[in-house]
Amino acid sequence: MQMFQATIEQSLTLFFGIIVFVTALVQTTNEWNKHELEDNVTKVLLILMAVGCIEAIGATLGFLGHGGG
Amino acid sequence: MAVAAGALHHEHGGGHQEPSDALYEEIRSHRLLGFTLFLISDCILFSAFIFAYLYLRNTIDHWPPPGIAGPDLLFGALNSIVLFGSGATMHFALDNWKHGNTKVFYRWLGLTLFLGTWFLLGQGYEYSLLYYEQHATWAGSIFGASFFTLTGLHGFHVFVGLVYLSILGWQTKQGIYTQKRFFGLTAGTLYWHFVDVIWVFLFFLFYIF
Repeated sequence: MQMFQATIEQSLTLFFGIIVFVTALVQTTNEWNKHELEDNVTKVLLILMAVGCIEAIGATLGFLGHGGG
Repeated sequence: MAVAAGALHHEHGGGHQEPSDALYEEIRSHRLLGFTLFLISDCILFSAFIFAYLYLRNTIDHWPPPGIAGPDLLFGALNSIVLFGSGATMHFALDNWKHGNTKVFYRWLGLTLFLGTWFLLGQGYEYSLLYYEQHATWAGSIFGASFFTLTGLHGFHVFVGLVYLSILGWQTKQGIYTQKRFFGLTAGTLYWHFVDVIWVFLFFLFYIF
């Protein structure tokens, strides 16, 4: 049961993680040529969001973290 | 300043005349600067707690302390993606508002609220696992104190964000924002992205590091 739950969690994280990562990058690219304060803040926040996706995907694939509890 | 505040009141349903475009832009830039400073001050708040956590963590040899396995990495990763996903949906919501797609805006805003609520419920589930299975409590260990304080503070921000976005949704229904004047929605989106980004650091510190 736990193995099944872990597999489901991994699959969902990978699937949605890649989607959100790509979305964050595409939106950053779209914002790139805008230079208002809000655009610059948004760019930084979107890039950090993409980093967060890499963290979550890396943790799911076992590259990051200690395997959890 | 008083002029700016008065003009702002008019913009937000004061029932009088709208400010001119030039005055609105000036007010908007001041409000944006103020909101950015608020986000920076919130960063400092989180930084203080994070450095306290790192200091405490450095004082003991084994982390997490014996008897506590720590939070579930896989579940934490999934919950993180849920929150990051809500950041993306809020971004789409604002984009659609800018382009006049009001119906689509409400769909993305609704999805954002749904994902934010999902994240909070997930955090509650995680707390229950830590409490009932690992007997981690706020007062029981440095781990419990740090984890519940920092993630609790973040969870409170998420909750405030959900209330904030709900109010924004209600305000749009009231016609307070237009396709040209929608600073509240911009601020709400920035706040929601900020909440996402704080979690990037917390996820790293508690689940990966």
